[in-house]
Amino acid sequence: MSRATEEQIKRFSTMDNNIPAKDRVIAWPRMGRIDIPLKALLTNLGAKIVIPPANSNEALEIGVKNSIEGICLPYKLNLANYIMALENGANTLMMFQAPGSCRLGNYTKMAQKTLKKKGYEFDMVIFDMYRNKMIQTLHAFWHVTRCLNPWKYFKAFSLGFTKFYAIDCAEKMLLYYRPREINKGDAEKYYNKWLTKIDDCNSLIGSKFLCHKIRKDFKNIQIDKNKKVPVIFLIGEFFVLLDPYTNQQIEKELGDMGFEVRRQIMFSGWLEHVLKPSIFYKKESHRERAVKYASKYMKRAIGGECIETIGDTVYAAKNGIDGVIHIMPFSCMPEIVSQNILSKVSREEDIPVLSLVLDEQTGKAGYITRIEAFIDLVKRKKLRRGE
Amino acid sequence: MNNFSTGRNIIGIPRALSYYGNYPFYYGFFKALGINIILSDKTTTKIINEGVEKVVSDTCLPIKVFVGHVLNLLEKGCDKIFVPSLQSSSYKINNCSKIRGLPEIIRNVIDKPFKMIEPTIDKTEGISFKDFCFDIAHEYNIYNKDLINSAIKSGWVVYDNFLKMTNSGVNYETALQNAIEGKILNPQMEIVRPLSVVIMAHGYNLFDERISMRLLKKLEKMGVKAYTSLNVTKENALDSIKQLGEIQYWANELDLTGTAAYYMLNNKVDGIIALSAFGCGPDSLMVDEIQYHAKEYNMPMIHLTIDEHTGEAGFVTRLEAFVDMLLRNKRKALEINNPPKTLPPVIKKERVLTKV
Repeated sequence: MSRATEEQIKRFSTMDNNIPAKDRVIAWPRMGRIDIPLKALLTNLGAKIVIPPANSNEALEIGVKNSIEGICLPYKLNLANYIMALENGANTLMMFQAPGSCRLGNYTKMAQKTLKKKGYEFDMVIFDMYRNKMIQTLHAFWHVTRCLNPWKYFKAFSLGFTKFYAIDCAEKMLLYYRPREINKGDAEKYYNKWLTKIDDCNSLIGSKFLCHKIRKDFKNIQIDKNKKVPVIFLIGEFFVLLDPYTNQQIEKELGDMGFEVRRQIMFSGWLEHVLKPSIFYKKESHRERAVKYASKYMKRAIGGECIETIGDTVYAAKNGIDGVIHIMPFSCMPEIVSQNILSKVSREEDIPVLSLVLDEQTGKAGYITRIEAFIDLVKRKKLRRGE
Repeated sequence: MNNFSTGRNIIGIPRALSYYGNYPFYYGFFKALGINIILSDKTTTKIINEGVEKVVSDTCLPIKVFVGHVLNLLEKGCDKIFVPSLQSSSYKINNCSKIRGLPEIIRNVIDKPFKMIEPTIDKTEGISFKDFCFDIAHEYNIYNKDLINSAIKSGWVVYDNFLKMTNSGVNYETALQNAIEGKILNPQMEIVRPLSVVIMAHGYNLFDERISMRLLKKLEKMGVKAYTSLNVTKENALDSIKQLGEIQYWANELDLTGTAAYYMLNNKVDGIIALSAFGCGPDSLMVDEIQYHAKEYNMPMIHLTIDEHTGEAGFVTRLEAFVDMLLRNKRKALEINNPPKTLPPVIKKERVLTKV
């Protein structure tokens, strides 16, 4: 590896050794419920943590006030999370990044500058999700905790991973049961119950059975077995998909309208694909599937989740899914490309696609109206096909 | 319809995006391979409107213009169109997604039959510039390695001549014209102008007269000397970015941050003009970065945003206001540095009426 390349790799690592490990209070940006597994991971390594408040209008307001106009929505929320965490006593911020994908690679650099300008003192620990990911990740966690016990690492990481899986399992169950339940709100109640249970679980062996228990428990919900439930694929940009506040709880809205949502990006699946060394990763990952299906329309990956979006839409059309909803933050570069391509995919593969652009000014009423109109279209199409 | 021979040895190059930076190279390269170049017309409102019809509204202006140019080439009867995918210029230094996925957009929004020459350059994944050139040649069934290598060399010759001229201060169009003709022009005597600014903008925005609304000519008329990215060498631009304590993140960061930083640090200009297309992702970050440092260095700065609806009147007003402000600043600074020389007070003898 040449010197220039090494310089390029190191250009983002700005770790600060001035804060002793025992004084560190760690925080990270929020996205959906990733706070639960990360809390388990870091507390098992012996670190103190601060969980910033969940994304809300208040957080968004702070983010908008402190960031530039042209930047995308996820950054604004991330920045708000940092500020709220620092206000609550954190002094170490953790964030992953993937340079070269889109503006995401620039988030930490900008956030650092903005926060320093505002007068906060902190250490931002960044780990790169590009090459040597596992080593970088471990190094980042070692840097913040200075924990040398390999058993603790094993426990922390296994527990973290299993919790990611358990949350995704509960989410999948929720998405399946919500449109079918007889008593409205049952599935939601079960889901919330399991989230607290996942959060409380702190034994390695107990956590291994979580998924199994969740599946078994959800079967207690009374459902209408004969109900015909149309299936919708939810695809788009990573953050917007996984953060219910940002996408204005589109999953709940669709579920309540009687549609089963199948979200294509699951955090655990993504994490496994990204972090697991390729020798141990045998099954076809989501990305590989997408690349395979998108080959007719796209020949190269262009960063972000563009190729996944196209691949999933083609996959949906080939597998008899009723419709696709594509969500993205305003001015997201990769998703604008996919939005351009999607109109052709929709025409050629004969599948209804709705693209929704979200930003801090999205009004809920208009948003719902558009979804409802789309839903009607999907239903009519299904009727015409004679199902 | 103007029918070119649709033989195998033609290539249509849209006059948009990478044309503005790399055309001298393309010219030398294709000429040496024996491929005739057909250029699309200069950007007009019609071309923009045709492009706008094809893509979704959130797409940025340069892409819309590019689509318009491709349609223009198709209208001319050219059926092989050059649409490069410039992924990354160095390890982990990537371009904007829309430039990376340009062939994907063109493939899917234009529903006319044509052949797209779509070479990729991606140094992160180890696809070098040489592979890029070989890809193009293979599309024309040229497999002779020596021929291709010599074509690459002659491409660089034209490109180097072009850079030599622009770095010494020749303006874009003259330099391009002379480089293509194989001449090197020495810069003319500079007229000293009262004000000078640096324009940070992508070449495809700034040198396209329709998109930039003849910004360079307008500034010249106002008596302002404008420096652009072409006047700075790449090494200087990169050094200036480092001097500011920043890192290069985007492939075209040298054109924007690098250029602005170079002139700002060397104190050669009175102000910075940022010109960017509405909704441009990289620009939103780079302009912000320079704005942050411009405040530190006390340098006035204006950010002009353009899209297909931008009216020329409002654009000019903002520009004039900015230039007026620069003039006022300069005058004030001059007054403070060289206070007006006051003559020694003349002691007037008071006339005293003697007669009583």
